[in-house]
Amino acid sequence: MSSSKKVITREEWEKKLADVKIRKEDMNKLVMNFLVTEGYVEAAEKFQMESGTQPDIDLGTITDRMAVRKAVQCGNVEDAIEKVNDLNPEILDTNPQLFFHLQQQRLIELIRSGNVEEALQFAQEELAPRGEENHAFLEELERTVALLAFEDTASCPVGELLDVSQRQKTASELNAAILTSQSHEKDPKLPSLLKMLIWAQNQLDEKASYPRINDLVNATLEDPVT
Amino acid sequence: MPSSAAWARPEELVESLSSLDNTARLKALRDVKNQIIGNKTKKLSYIKLGAVPRVVEILASDTEVPLLVQSAAAVGSFACGIEAGVKAVLDSGVLPHLLKMLSNGDQKVVEACARSLKMIFQSTLAPKSDMFQSHRMELIIELLNSENESVAEVAASVLARCCETVDHQRALADAGGLQSLLRLLKGSVKTREAALDALGALTKGNKQLCAALSSMDQGRSLATIMKLVKDKSPRTRLLACTCLANVGKASPSSFQKEWEIRTSMLSVLVKLFDEPGSVGEEAPGVLADLVASNEELQEVALDMNTIEKLGEFLRKHELPSKQLAGVLMALAELCSRFQESRRQLLEMQVQAPIIAALEHESTSVRAAACSCIRSLSRSVKNLRTTLKDERLVEPLLKLLNDSSADIQELALSAVSNILLEFTPHKAVVFRCGGVSQLIQLSQSMDPTLRLKAVWALKNLIYMSDKTLKETVMGELTCNSLVDLIFDSEEKVREQAMALVRNLVYGDEDSVQLSLVQDAVLLHAVEKQLHESTQSEICIQGLYALSNVAAGSEVHKEAVMNIIIPGTSMGVNRNTSLLMKYLQDMTNPQLRVGALWCVINLTFPSSLGVSSRISRLRNGGVEAQLQIMAEDPCLDVKDRAKTALEQFSTVEIPPR
Repeated sequence: MSSSKKVITREEWEKKLADVKIRKEDMNKLVMNFLVTEGYVEAAEKFQMESGTQPDIDLGTITDRMAVRKAVQCGNVEDAIEKVNDLNPEILDTNPQLFFHLQQQRLIELIRSGNVEEALQFAQEELAPRGEENHAFLEELERTVALLAFEDTASCPVGELLDVSQRQKTASELNAAILTSQSHEKDPKLPSLLKMLIWAQNQLDEKASYPRINDLVNATLEDPVT
Repeated sequence: MPSSAAWARPEELVESLSSLDNTARLKALRDVKNQIIGNKTKKLSYIKLGAVPRVVEILASDTEVPLLVQSAAAVGSFACGIEAGVKAVLDSGVLPHLLKMLSNGDQKVVEACARSLKMIFQSTLAPKSDMFQSHRMELIIELLNSENESVAEVAASVLARCCETVDHQRALADAGGLQSLLRLLKGSVKTREAALDALGALTKGNKQLCAALSSMDQGRSLATIMKLVKDKSPRTRLLACTCLANVGKASPSSFQKEWEIRTSMLSVLVKLFDEPGSVGEEAPGVLADLVASNEELQEVALDMNTIEKLGEFLRKHELPSKQLAGVLMALAELCSRFQESRRQLLEMQVQAPIIAALEHESTSVRAAACSCIRSLSRSVKNLRTTLKDERLVEPLLKLLNDSSADIQELALSAVSNILLEFTPHKAVVFRCGGVSQLIQLSQSMDPTLRLKAVWALKNLIYMSDKTLKETVMGELTCNSLVDLIFDSEEKVREQAMALVRNLVYGDEDSVQLSLVQDAVLLHAVEKQLHESTQSEICIQGLYALSNVAAGSEVHKEAVMNIIIPGTSMGVNRNTSLLMKYLQDMTNPQLRVGALWCVINLTFPSSLGVSSRISRLRNGGVEAQLQIMAEDPCLDVKDRAKTALEQFSTVEIPPR
């Protein structure tokens, strides 16, 4: 099979690559987009000063967004809710799923702190009505309340809800919603560019042998297989 | 109670909203706001406790920025997602305060108020025409041009919701709205979408404004919108398609590469069907607009399996009204011409949900279901097979009395279709009292309803038996039918004449109906044939006479007396009604109709045929027929030859 494929040598490939002009400003914009979306506000400020690249969003809003995110990561969900409501009340008002997940996270935190009575009351007053509105929410609520049934949460089948990763999941969902509300894309562009690179290489593999990039971290070109 | 530590009791909190202490008031306001956001149950309970007027009061009379921001946010949340909330804030008179605050010096206040306005205007309860009063209109245009993008966005989305009538559209365009909105297309995604939404409302069904939009900035504005059809944001794609569908519907071939763009819009829209939320819900309705009366595009849609995709929606339960109406409208358009589309849809066995939609609570769903049935019932084959479900008759008849005249009209068209020829539905209509309903509607003040009702009655009595005809005439009465023959509307007159034509068609009993009550119907037809200048009306009249002429000797004689009356001097050449129409060169169909009269009057085996032929000869008819045997119209030529053959069986008496 490989004999029928066209072979492109390293020299030819590098020459072709050199012919493609990518503007430095565009590269910088990609970097800035990554820093802004991921919330690295200080790095973004430095990068702006050094490269003169304008961020595509007011850097002040990143600080607010990060404060919200951090609150969830620390388990302070109520604080996060108040902050996001100050930022833009529309976010939680128009996003029932996110609102439910935040309330669910609050319940998880109450259970974590061993506050059984309050957890039950909270589940009943705040979460049960949402479960009535949406069947999927009800199932998730039941799963969460199951945490209360186990003395030792390590042996609990839904124990992963108490994991840090659950907080991360909720925090990311909230972060994405805030970005969307600011007319900003919720994911940075860089990872999707890498995905496109992998896709393009896979497509090309069927037709030609060429210096492939296997090591994405260093972007080194491999010698073509002949 | 542990949780009460975090928040005070609701009653106390509401009380604190009117506290004289600013700090306490602000705290209560924030607490209420944070409790109600995202929580419908809490919204309702705070509305019941009377929180809304207190919150609005703060907006109306306070001056401190944090208080204003928090109260505007709370108002917005009350109005978000529940109609009771919208009603409560509107009842508290919040609108003028919010509008006034948009010119506040503090940007936070402005943005909070803008958001609340947007929430309110997402509801159908929000006032519409009110926003077009001159001073408010000026304010909105001013806001549309605001430096603050979120204010401009809100202004655009308010316009998108309020602009509903041609007057609104004109007022908005006269105030420079079109230019302002096009400028906003360069803004952020949300601003752009609000602007597109408003542009869609502005151009809907408005030829003038569509033309204005197409020619604006040498077509560059329209080109911008075309690019947005392939935008990353699904909502942008949908709204861009909406605008372009409006433009395309108003003035076909108004943009370059029209065909490519339309087909790509079609595939974009079909893909949008699968989007979650409002985009997926609205996409079918936009597709309906796009393919409306565009057969080529409907064919392309057929190739894209659009029918199947739309049909699948009908199989799901509980579609939101807007989506259901859109799906049915799109199917109605796609099935309006092509039997293949109808076949595909009916094979999916979705008749039951379509019939059920005829009784839906939403007006637009009922209208769309009616249109769909109308399209499907255009095929008699369907009516006898896949659409023979008689359960569709009753809901359709019910819609004849719908509160919306548009629906009455659509239902009449559908009923008209199902009454055509020998469908199993005919008997059901009869049994369910549909005939009385149709007769009532034929007396409606609305000319379109009158027209369609007469049309349906005409279809109903076509080829029906004596009993049905007599029942219809017993209830309709000859006098009412005569009134309809002389209706103020030309189209109604034509259909009333056609009704007579169908009434007297058939066996002798049917023909006899022309002579009841001193032949009042026949005389009405005669009068129209003398007076009317509309060939469509006269064609129906001539066929009515030719149907009567197919009857017995008495009937033939009655027709003779109308079309070629004898005088004491014999027959007056060239001035008879018959000669008038045989010699008419404006419309060959008139000549054909007149020839059918001659053919039926001279039918060989009939008793008085020789005396009639000699009377016709004296009237110059045979000579005229010889001329007509060379007529440029093939139909006329053939009929003239047939008539001449019949004349030749009776010899010319020697002088």
